[in-house]
Amino acid sequence: MKRQGPIILAFAIGMLMLIQFFTPAAFFKEAYNTILDWKQVVLGFTFILGTWSLIRYHYIKINRKRENWQYSYVTLAGLAITVLAALIWKTAEGPYPWLFNNVQVPMQSTMFSLLAFFVASASYRAFRARTFHATLLLIAGALVMLGRVPIGSYLSGSIFGVKISLVAISDWVLNVPNAAAKRGIMIGVGLGMTATAIKIILGIEQTYLGKTD
Amino acid sequence: MAFYDRMMSIDRRIIFLSVGLAVAIPIIVPLGFPVQISEETMNFYREMAALKPGDIILLSFDYEGDVMAELNPMAVAVLKHAFSRGIKVIAITTYAGGTGIAERLLTEAANRYGKTYGVDYVFLGYNPDWSGTMLRLGESFKATYPTDQYGKSVYEIPIMKNVETYRDIALVVSISGSALSEYWAIWAGGRYGARVISGNTAIQAILIYPYYKAGQIPGFLGGLKGAAEYEKLINAPGMGIRGMDAQSVAHALMLAFILVGNVGYFLFRRAKRREQK
Repeated sequence: MKRQGPIILAFAIGMLMLIQFFTPAAFFKEAYNTILDWKQVVLGFTFILGTWSLIRYHYIKINRKRENWQYSYVTLAGLAITVLAALIWKTAEGPYPWLFNNVQVPMQSTMFSLLAFFVASASYRAFRARTFHATLLLIAGALVMLGRVPIGSYLSGSIFGVKISLVAISDWVLNVPNAAAKRGIMIGVGLGMTATAIKIILGIEQTYLGKTD
Repeated sequence: MAFYDRMMSIDRRIIFLSVGLAVAIPIIVPLGFPVQISEETMNFYREMAALKPGDIILLSFDYEGDVMAELNPMAVAVLKHAFSRGIKVIAITTYAGGTGIAERLLTEAANRYGKTYGVDYVFLGYNPDWSGTMLRLGESFKATYPTDQYGKSVYEIPIMKNVETYRDIALVVSISGSALSEYWAIWAGGRYGARVISGNTAIQAILIYPYYKAGQIPGFLGGLKGAAEYEKLINAPGMGIRGMDAQSVAHALMLAFILVGNVGYFLFRRAKRREQK
Protein backbone atom coordinates (compact mmCIF):
# COMPACT_ATOMS: atom_id res chain seq x y z
CA MET A 1 0.00 0.00 0.00
CA LYS A 2 2.99 2.24 0.64
CA ARG A 3 3.64 2.32 -3.09
CA GLN A 4 0.15 1.61 -4.37
CA GLY A 5 -1.41 4.54 -2.49
CA PRO A 6 0.62 7.28 -4.23
CA ILE A 7 0.21 5.51 -7.62
CA ILE A 8 -3.59 5.42 -7.21
CA LEU A 9 -3.55 9.09 -6.09
CA ALA A 10 -1.41 10.10 -9.10
CA PHE A 11 -3.77 8.21 -11.42
CA ALA A 12 -6.89 9.80 -9.91
CA ILE A 13 -5.54 13.37 -9.90
CA GLY A 14 -3.93 12.92 -13.33
CA MET A 15 -7.17 11.67 -14.87
CA LEU A 16 -9.16 14.41 -13.11
CA MET A 17 -6.90 17.13 -14.53
CA LEU A 18 -7.04 15.53 -17.97
CA ILE A 19 -10.84 15.28 -17.98
CA GLN A 20 -11.42 18.77 -16.61
CA PHE A 21 -9.44 20.26 -19.49
CA PHE A 22 -12.02 18.96 -21.97
CA THR A 23 -15.11 19.24 -19.76
CA PRO A 24 -17.01 22.45 -19.01
CA ALA A 25 -18.90 20.90 -16.03
CA ALA A 26 -18.90 23.09 -12.90
CA PHE A 27 -17.67 20.26 -10.65
CA PHE A 28 -14.49 19.78 -12.68
CA LYS A 29 -13.85 23.52 -12.78
CA GLU A 30 -14.25 23.68 -9.01
CA ALA A 31 -11.90 20.72 -8.53
CA TYR A 32 -9.35 22.29 -10.89
CA ASN A 33 -9.40 25.57 -8.95
CA THR A 34 -9.10 23.75 -5.62
CA ILE A 35 -6.09 21.78 -6.85
CA LEU A 36 -4.46 25.00 -8.11
CA ASP A 37 -5.02 26.57 -4.67
CA TRP A 38 -3.54 23.52 -2.95
CA LYS A 39 -0.58 23.64 -5.30
CA GLN A 40 0.18 27.21 -4.27
CA VAL A 41 -0.09 26.33 -0.57
CA VAL A 42 2.15 23.27 -0.98
CA LEU A 43 4.69 25.38 -2.87
CA GLY A 44 4.65 27.86 0.03
CA PHE A 45 5.51 25.08 2.44
CA THR A 46 8.54 24.10 0.37
CA PHE A 47 10.14 27.33 1.59
CA ILE A 48 9.99 25.99 5.15
CA LEU A 49 11.54 22.74 3.98
CA GLY A 50 14.19 24.64 2.02
CA THR A 51 15.08 26.85 4.99
CA TRP A 52 15.29 23.83 7.30
CA SER A 53 17.45 21.99 4.78
CA LEU A 54 19.79 25.00 4.45
CA ILE A 55 20.19 25.33 8.24
CA ARG A 56 20.77 21.59 8.68
CA TYR A 57 23.33 21.42 5.86
CA HIS A 58 25.40 24.30 7.20
CA TYR A 59 25.06 23.19 10.82
CA ILE A 60 26.51 19.78 9.89
CA LYS A 61 29.22 21.45 7.81
CA ILE A 62 30.30 23.61 10.76
CA ASN A 63 30.00 20.74 13.22
CA ARG A 64 32.20 18.42 11.15
CA LYS A 65 34.60 21.20 10.13
CA ARG A 66 34.24 20.38 6.43
CA GLU A 67 36.16 22.35 3.80
CA ASN A 68 35.40 26.11 3.95
CA TRP A 69 33.15 25.56 6.98
CA GLN A 70 33.82 29.15 8.12
CA TYR A 71 31.68 30.50 5.26
CA SER A 72 28.69 28.61 6.62
CA TYR A 73 28.62 31.07 9.52
CA VAL A 74 28.20 33.88 6.97
CA THR A 75 25.31 32.03 5.27
CA LEU A 76 23.52 31.33 8.55
CA ALA A 77 24.12 34.87 9.82
CA GLY A 78 22.77 36.29 6.55
CA LEU A 79 19.66 34.14 6.85
CA ALA A 80 19.09 35.05 10.50
CA ILE A 81 19.63 38.80 9.97
CA THR A 82 17.29 38.93 6.93
CA VAL A 83 14.53 36.99 8.71
CA LEU A 84 14.85 39.10 11.87
CA ALA A 85 14.87 42.34 9.84
CA ALA A 86 11.62 41.26 8.16
CA LEU A 87 10.00 40.12 11.42
CA ILE A 88 10.99 43.07 13.65
CA TRP A 89 10.54 45.88 11.09
CA LYS A 90 8.14 46.09 8.13
CA THR A 91 9.19 44.52 4.84
CA ALA A 92 8.42 47.73 2.92
CA GLU A 93 10.70 49.99 4.98
CA GLY A 94 13.61 49.82 7.41
CA PRO A 95 16.54 47.39 7.32
CA TYR A 96 14.84 44.71 5.20
CA PRO A 97 14.60 46.66 1.91
CA TRP A 98 17.98 48.21 2.74
CA LEU A 99 19.51 44.74 2.92
CA PHE A 100 17.84 43.82 -0.34
CA ASN A 101 18.89 46.94 -2.23
CA ASN A 102 22.39 47.27 -0.79
CA VAL A 103 23.48 43.68 -0.21
CA GLN A 104 21.48 41.16 -2.22
CA VAL A 105 21.02 43.13 -5.44
CA PRO A 106 24.67 44.30 -5.75
CA MET A 107 25.91 40.78 -4.97
CA GLN A 108 23.61 39.17 -7.54
CA SER A 109 24.51 41.82 -10.14
CA THR A 110 28.22 41.37 -9.45
CA MET A 111 28.02 37.61 -9.83
CA PHE A 112 26.15 37.94 -13.11
CA SER A 113 28.34 40.69 -14.55
CA LEU A 114 31.44 38.57 -13.90
CA LEU A 115 30.07 36.39 -16.68
CA ALA A 116 31.02 39.05 -19.24
CA PHE A 117 34.69 38.67 -18.28
CA PHE A 118 34.63 34.88 -18.26
CA VAL A 119 32.65 34.67 -21.50
CA ALA A 120 35.15 37.01 -23.19
CA SER A 121 38.08 34.91 -21.99
CA ALA A 122 36.40 31.58 -22.78
CA SER A 123 35.20 32.62 -26.25
CA TYR A 124 38.70 33.85 -27.12
CA ARG A 125 40.12 30.45 -26.18
CA ALA A 126 37.32 28.19 -27.47
CA PHE A 127 36.06 29.90 -30.65
CA ARG A 128 38.64 28.51 -33.06
CA ALA A 129 37.83 27.54 -36.65
CA ARG A 130 39.18 24.01 -36.17
CA THR A 131 36.44 22.17 -38.10
CA PHE A 132 33.70 23.04 -40.58
CA HIS A 133 31.03 23.00 -37.85
CA ALA A 134 33.15 25.13 -35.52
CA THR A 135 33.68 27.63 -38.36
CA LEU A 136 29.95 27.75 -39.05
CA LEU A 137 29.24 28.41 -35.36
CA LEU A 138 31.95 31.04 -35.26
CA ILE A 139 30.58 32.90 -38.30
CA ALA A 140 26.95 32.73 -37.06
CA GLY A 141 28.03 33.89 -33.60
CA ALA A 142 30.07 36.78 -34.98
CA LEU A 143 27.23 37.92 -37.28
CA VAL A 144 24.65 37.85 -34.48
CA MET A 145 26.98 39.53 -32.00
CA LEU A 146 27.61 42.42 -34.39
CA GLY A 147 24.08 42.52 -35.78
CA ARG A 148 22.53 42.82 -32.32
CA VAL A 149 24.38 46.03 -31.39
CA PRO A 150 24.26 49.49 -33.05
CA ILE A 151 27.84 49.16 -34.30
CA GLY A 152 26.52 46.47 -36.67
CA SER A 153 24.58 49.03 -38.70
CA TYR A 154 27.90 50.78 -39.47
CA LEU A 155 29.29 47.56 -40.93
CA SER A 156 26.61 47.25 -43.59
CA GLY A 157 27.28 48.16 -47.19
CA SER A 158 27.10 46.92 -50.75
CA ILE A 159 29.37 44.53 -52.60
CA PHE A 160 29.12 44.51 -56.41
CA GLY A 161 25.88 46.43 -56.15
CA VAL A 162 24.31 43.93 -53.74
CA LYS A 163 23.21 45.56 -50.48
CA ILE A 164 24.45 43.59 -47.48
CA SER A 165 23.08 44.47 -44.07
CA LEU A 166 24.63 42.84 -41.04
CA VAL A 167 21.47 43.55 -39.06
CA ALA A 168 19.33 41.80 -41.71
CA ILE A 169 21.67 38.77 -41.74
CA SER A 170 21.58 38.61 -37.94
CA ASP A 171 17.76 38.84 -37.98
CA TRP A 172 17.60 36.05 -40.56
CA VAL A 173 19.84 33.79 -38.44
CA LEU A 174 17.58 34.37 -35.43
CA ASN A 175 14.26 34.16 -37.26
CA VAL A 176 14.95 31.20 -39.52
CA PRO A 177 17.62 28.64 -38.46
CA ASN A 178 17.39 29.54 -34.76
CA ALA A 179 13.57 29.48 -34.64
CA ALA A 180 13.46 26.25 -36.66
CA ALA A 181 15.95 24.50 -34.34
CA LYS A 182 14.10 25.71 -31.25
CA ARG A 183 10.78 24.54 -32.67
CA GLY A 184 12.22 21.09 -33.28
CA ILE A 185 13.50 20.93 -29.71
CA MET A 186 10.16 22.18 -28.35
CA ILE A 187 8.19 19.57 -30.27
CA GLY A 188 10.54 16.87 -28.99
CA VAL A 189 10.29 18.12 -25.42
CA GLY A 190 6.51 18.37 -25.70
CA LEU A 191 6.17 14.80 -26.93
CA GLY A 192 8.55 13.63 -24.20
CA MET A 193 6.56 15.44 -21.51
CA THR A 194 3.29 13.97 -22.78
CA ALA A 195 4.76 10.46 -22.81
CA THR A 196 6.18 10.89 -19.28
CA ALA A 197 2.87 12.29 -17.99
CA ILE A 198 0.95 9.31 -19.42
CA LYS A 199 3.51 6.92 -17.89
CA ILE A 200 3.14 8.59 -14.47
CA ILE A 201 -0.67 8.56 -14.63
CA LEU A 202 -0.67 4.88 -15.59
CA GLY A 203 1.87 4.00 -12.90
CA ILE A 204 4.56 2.86 -15.35
CA GLU A 205 6.96 5.62 -14.36
CA GLN A 206 7.55 5.42 -10.58
CA THR A 207 10.89 7.15 -10.04
CA TYR A 208 9.08 10.14 -8.44
CA LEU A 209 8.29 7.82 -5.52
CA GLY A 210 11.96 7.61 -4.62
CA LYS A 211 14.21 4.57 -4.41
CA THR A 212 12.86 1.22 -5.58
CA ASP A 213 13.39 -1.79 -3.36
CA MET B 1 57.64 31.91 -27.99
CA ALA B 2 56.52 32.26 -31.62
CA PHE B 3 54.32 35.21 -32.59
CA TYR B 4 51.34 32.95 -33.30
CA ASP B 5 51.71 31.40 -29.86
CA ARG B 6 51.43 34.85 -28.33
CA MET B 7 48.34 35.52 -30.43
CA MET B 8 46.74 32.33 -29.15
CA SER B 9 47.60 32.78 -25.49
CA ILE B 10 46.83 36.32 -24.47
CA ASP B 11 46.91 36.59 -20.69
CA ARG B 12 43.40 36.46 -19.25
CA ARG B 13 44.17 39.50 -17.08
CA ILE B 14 44.65 41.56 -20.27
CA ILE B 15 41.27 40.29 -21.55
CA PHE B 16 39.57 41.08 -18.22
CA LEU B 17 41.07 44.58 -18.10
CA SER B 18 40.14 45.26 -21.74
CA VAL B 19 36.52 44.12 -21.17
CA GLY B 20 36.32 46.27 -18.02
CA LEU B 21 37.52 49.33 -19.91
CA ALA B 22 35.33 48.56 -22.96
CA VAL B 23 32.25 48.55 -20.73
CA ALA B 24 33.19 51.41 -18.38
CA ILE B 25 34.50 54.03 -20.80
CA PRO B 26 31.42 54.25 -23.11
CA ILE B 27 29.18 54.56 -20.04
CA ILE B 28 31.28 57.43 -18.70
CA VAL B 29 31.83 59.01 -22.15
CA PRO B 30 28.80 58.13 -24.35
CA LEU B 31 29.64 57.50 -27.98
CA GLY B 32 26.11 57.97 -29.29
CA PHE B 33 25.84 55.01 -31.65
CA PRO B 34 22.54 55.18 -33.56
CA VAL B 35 19.84 52.79 -32.36
CA GLN B 36 18.00 51.05 -35.19
CA ILE B 37 14.49 49.80 -34.40
CA SER B 38 13.94 46.08 -34.93
CA GLU B 39 10.63 44.58 -36.05
CA GLU B 40 10.10 42.77 -32.70
CA THR B 41 10.49 45.98 -30.72
CA MET B 42 8.26 47.92 -33.12
CA ASN B 43 5.55 45.31 -32.62
CA PHE B 44 5.99 45.44 -28.83
CA TYR B 45 5.58 49.22 -29.03
CA ARG B 46 2.50 48.87 -31.26
CA GLU B 47 0.86 46.54 -28.72
CA MET B 48 1.44 49.09 -25.95
CA ALA B 49 0.48 52.04 -28.13
CA ALA B 50 -2.81 50.37 -29.11
CA LEU B 51 -4.02 50.49 -25.50
CA LYS B 52 -6.51 53.15 -24.52
CA PRO B 53 -6.36 55.31 -21.36
CA GLY B 54 -8.02 53.37 -18.54
CA ASP B 55 -6.99 49.98 -19.94
CA ILE B 56 -5.29 47.69 -17.45
CA ILE B 57 -2.07 45.77 -18.09
CA LEU B 58 -0.65 42.95 -15.98
CA LEU B 59 3.07 43.59 -15.56
CA SER B 60 4.96 40.57 -14.28
CA PHE B 61 8.46 41.14 -12.91
CA ASP B 62 9.87 37.70 -13.71
CA TYR B 63 13.42 38.40 -12.63
CA GLU B 64 15.77 39.15 -9.75
CA GLY B 65 18.77 41.38 -9.14
CA ASP B 66 21.17 39.35 -11.27
CA VAL B 67 19.67 40.48 -14.58
CA MET B 68 18.30 43.86 -13.53
CA ALA B 69 20.95 45.73 -15.54
CA GLU B 70 19.39 44.28 -18.67
CA LEU B 71 15.74 44.15 -17.64
CA ASN B 72 15.20 47.18 -15.41
CA PRO B 73 15.44 49.58 -18.39
CA MET B 74 12.60 47.61 -20.06
CA ALA B 75 10.39 47.63 -16.95
CA VAL B 76 11.05 51.34 -16.42
CA ALA B 77 10.22 52.12 -20.06
CA VAL B 78 6.99 50.06 -19.91
CA LEU B 79 5.90 51.90 -16.75
CA LYS B 80 6.76 55.29 -18.29
CA HIS B 81 4.83 54.44 -21.45
CA ALA B 82 1.85 53.14 -19.50
CA PHE B 83 1.62 55.89 -16.89
CA SER B 84 2.21 58.69 -19.41
CA ARG B 85 -0.82 57.44 -21.37
CA GLY B 86 -3.16 56.83 -18.45
CA ILE B 87 -2.88 53.04 -18.64
CA LYS B 88 -3.33 51.27 -15.31
CA VAL B 89 -0.89 48.67 -14.05
CA ILE B 90 -1.40 45.54 -11.97
CA ALA B 91 2.07 44.32 -11.04
CA ILE B 92 3.14 40.93 -9.72
CA THR B 93 6.41 39.07 -9.40
CA THR B 94 7.15 35.39 -9.80
CA TYR B 95 10.53 35.69 -8.08
CA ALA B 96 11.09 36.31 -4.37
CA GLY B 97 13.88 38.75 -5.20
CA GLY B 98 11.63 40.53 -7.68
CA THR B 99 9.58 42.07 -4.88
CA GLY B 100 12.13 44.73 -3.97
CA ILE B 101 12.80 45.56 -7.62
CA ALA B 102 9.11 45.87 -8.49
CA GLU B 103 8.36 48.03 -5.44
CA ARG B 104 11.19 50.42 -6.23
CA LEU B 105 10.43 50.80 -9.95
CA LEU B 106 6.68 51.15 -9.41
CA THR B 107 7.12 53.79 -6.70
CA GLU B 108 9.64 55.79 -8.76
CA ALA B 109 7.47 55.75 -11.89
CA ALA B 110 4.28 56.51 -9.93
CA ASN B 111 5.91 59.47 -8.18
CA ARG B 112 7.19 60.82 -11.49
CA TYR B 113 3.75 60.70 -13.13
CA GLY B 114 1.71 61.50 -10.01
CA LYS B 115 -0.10 58.16 -9.92
CA THR B 116 -2.08 56.93 -6.93
CA TYR B 117 -1.54 53.51 -5.42
CA GLY B 118 -4.65 51.37 -5.62
CA VAL B 119 -6.28 53.58 -8.25
CA ASP B 120 -3.71 53.76 -11.05
CA TYR B 121 -1.54 50.84 -10.06
CA VAL B 122 -1.27 48.04 -7.54
CA PHE B 123 1.42 45.61 -6.52
CA LEU B 124 0.00 42.19 -5.68
CA GLY B 125 3.39 40.84 -4.65
CA TYR B 126 5.07 37.49 -4.91
CA ASN B 127 3.48 34.09 -5.24
CA PRO B 128 5.86 31.11 -4.93
CA ASP B 129 3.99 28.95 -7.45
CA TRP B 130 4.50 30.65 -10.82
CA SER B 131 2.74 27.99 -12.90
CA GLY B 132 -0.21 27.85 -10.50
CA THR B 133 -0.35 31.65 -10.51
CA MET B 134 -0.49 31.89 -14.30
CA LEU B 135 -3.27 29.30 -14.48
CA ARG B 136 -5.25 30.49 -11.43
CA LEU B 137 -5.26 34.11 -12.68
CA GLY B 138 -7.21 32.79 -15.66
CA GLU B 139 -9.92 31.65 -13.26
CA SER B 140 -9.84 34.40 -10.66
CA PHE B 141 -7.44 37.23 -9.88
CA LYS B 142 -8.96 37.75 -6.46
CA ALA B 143 -8.68 34.09 -5.44
CA THR B 144 -5.04 34.00 -6.58
CA TYR B 145 -4.17 37.20 -4.75
CA PRO B 146 -6.68 37.79 -1.93
CA THR B 147 -4.48 40.66 -0.68
CA ASP B 148 -1.91 42.98 -2.20
CA GLN B 149 1.78 43.04 -1.20
CA TYR B 150 0.94 45.09 1.92
CA GLY B 151 -1.87 42.87 3.18
CA LYS B 152 -4.79 44.99 1.98
CA SER B 153 -7.77 43.02 0.68
CA VAL B 154 -8.03 43.26 -3.11
CA TYR B 155 -11.79 43.83 -2.68
CA GLU B 156 -10.91 47.22 -1.14
CA ILE B 157 -8.55 48.24 -3.96
CA PRO B 158 -10.35 50.34 -6.63
CA ILE B 159 -8.24 49.17 -9.61
CA MET B 160 -9.16 45.55 -8.81
CA LYS B 161 -12.90 46.23 -8.69
CA ASN B 162 -13.70 45.03 -12.21
CA VAL B 163 -10.82 42.64 -12.66
CA GLU B 164 -11.85 39.00 -12.48
CA THR B 165 -9.79 37.12 -15.07
CA TYR B 166 -7.46 37.74 -18.01
CA ARG B 167 -10.52 38.90 -19.95
CA ASP B 168 -10.38 42.14 -17.97
CA ILE B 169 -6.71 42.67 -18.74
CA ALA B 170 -5.84 44.37 -22.02
CA LEU B 171 -2.27 43.08 -22.15
CA VAL B 172 0.08 40.84 -20.16
CA VAL B 173 3.66 42.10 -20.12
CA SER B 174 6.27 39.66 -18.85
CA ILE B 175 9.73 41.04 -18.18
CA SER B 176 11.76 37.91 -17.77
CA GLY B 177 15.28 36.60 -17.39
CA SER B 178 14.12 32.99 -17.66
CA ALA B 179 11.67 30.83 -19.62
CA LEU B 180 8.66 32.35 -17.83
CA SER B 181 7.68 34.55 -20.79
CA GLU B 182 7.22 31.34 -22.77
CA TYR B 183 4.93 29.96 -20.05
CA TRP B 184 2.90 33.18 -19.98
CA ALA B 185 2.38 32.67 -23.71
CA ILE B 186 1.50 28.99 -23.27
CA TRP B 187 -0.80 29.23 -20.25
CA ALA B 188 -2.14 32.77 -20.05
CA GLY B 189 -2.13 33.13 -23.84
CA GLY B 190 -2.79 29.62 -25.08
CA ARG B 191 -5.29 28.47 -22.48
CA TYR B 192 -7.00 31.72 -21.50
CA GLY B 193 -6.55 33.87 -24.58
CA ALA B 194 -4.59 36.65 -22.88
CA ARG B 195 -2.50 38.84 -25.17
CA VAL B 196 1.11 38.44 -24.06
CA ILE B 197 4.19 40.50 -24.94
CA SER B 198 7.56 40.18 -23.29
CA GLY B 199 10.89 41.75 -22.49
CA ASN B 200 13.74 39.26 -22.21
CA THR B 201 17.44 39.06 -21.59
CA ALA B 202 19.42 38.73 -24.84
CA ILE B 203 20.15 35.07 -24.17
CA GLN B 204 16.49 34.30 -23.44
CA ALA B 205 15.23 36.36 -26.38
CA ILE B 206 16.66 33.76 -28.76
CA LEU B 207 14.13 31.27 -27.39
CA ILE B 208 11.20 33.66 -27.94
CA TYR B 209 11.48 33.69 -31.74
CA PRO B 210 9.29 30.58 -32.34
CA TYR B 211 6.49 32.17 -30.26
CA TYR B 212 6.99 35.47 -32.03
CA LYS B 213 6.89 33.93 -35.49
CA ALA B 214 3.73 32.00 -34.52
CA GLY B 215 2.07 35.17 -33.19
CA GLN B 216 1.81 33.78 -29.64
CA ILE B 217 4.03 36.64 -28.47
CA PRO B 218 3.23 39.43 -30.94
CA GLY B 219 6.15 41.60 -29.88
CA PHE B 220 9.16 41.41 -27.59
CA LEU B 221 12.18 43.33 -26.43
CA GLY B 222 15.41 41.38 -26.85
CA GLY B 223 18.11 42.27 -24.37
CA LEU B 224 19.44 45.73 -23.69
CA LYS B 225 19.15 46.48 -27.42
CA GLY B 226 15.40 45.96 -27.23
CA ALA B 227 15.22 48.22 -24.19
CA ALA B 228 17.21 50.92 -26.01
CA GLU B 229 14.98 50.69 -29.09
CA TYR B 230 11.83 50.93 -26.98
CA GLU B 231 13.25 53.91 -25.06
CA LYS B 232 13.89 55.59 -28.41
CA LEU B 233 10.35 54.85 -29.63
CA ILE B 234 8.72 56.34 -26.52
CA ASN B 235 11.23 59.20 -26.51
CA ALA B 236 12.44 58.45 -23.00
CA PRO B 237 16.18 57.74 -23.19
CA GLY B 238 17.47 55.82 -20.20
CA MET B 239 19.94 53.15 -19.21
CA GLY B 240 19.07 51.08 -22.28
CA ILE B 241 20.39 53.65 -24.73
CA ARG B 242 23.38 54.47 -22.51
CA GLY B 243 24.24 50.79 -22.19
CA MET B 244 24.19 50.18 -25.95
CA ASP B 245 27.48 52.02 -26.46
CA ALA B 246 29.13 49.81 -23.85
CA GLN B 247 27.60 46.67 -25.36
CA SER B 248 28.69 47.67 -28.88
CA VAL B 249 32.29 48.24 -27.83
CA ALA B 250 32.36 45.07 -25.68
CA HIS B 251 31.01 42.93 -28.56
CA ALA B 252 33.52 44.45 -31.00
CA LEU B 253 36.32 43.83 -28.52
CA MET B 254 35.31 40.20 -27.98
CA LEU B 255 35.23 39.65 -31.73
CA ALA B 256 38.64 41.29 -32.06
CA PHE B 257 40.05 38.86 -29.48
CA ILE B 258 38.41 35.91 -31.29
CA LEU B 259 39.87 37.15 -34.58
CA VAL B 260 43.36 37.48 -33.09
CA GLY B 261 43.07 33.95 -31.66
CA ASN B 262 41.98 32.54 -35.03
CA VAL B 263 44.67 34.35 -37.01
CA GLY B 264 47.21 32.93 -34.55
CA TYR B 265 45.67 29.49 -35.01
CA PHE B 266 45.94 29.66 -38.82
CA LEU B 267 49.55 30.84 -38.63
CA PHE B 268 50.26 27.98 -36.22
CA ARG B 269 48.68 25.43 -38.59
CA ARG B 270 50.63 26.82 -41.55
CA ALA B 271 53.89 26.63 -39.58
CA LYS B 272 53.08 23.03 -38.59
CA ARG B 273 52.40 22.06 -42.19
CA ARG B 274 55.69 23.60 -43.31
CA GLU B 275 57.51 21.70 -40.56
CA GLN B 276 55.93 18.44 -41.72
CA LYS B 277 57.02 19.07 -45.34
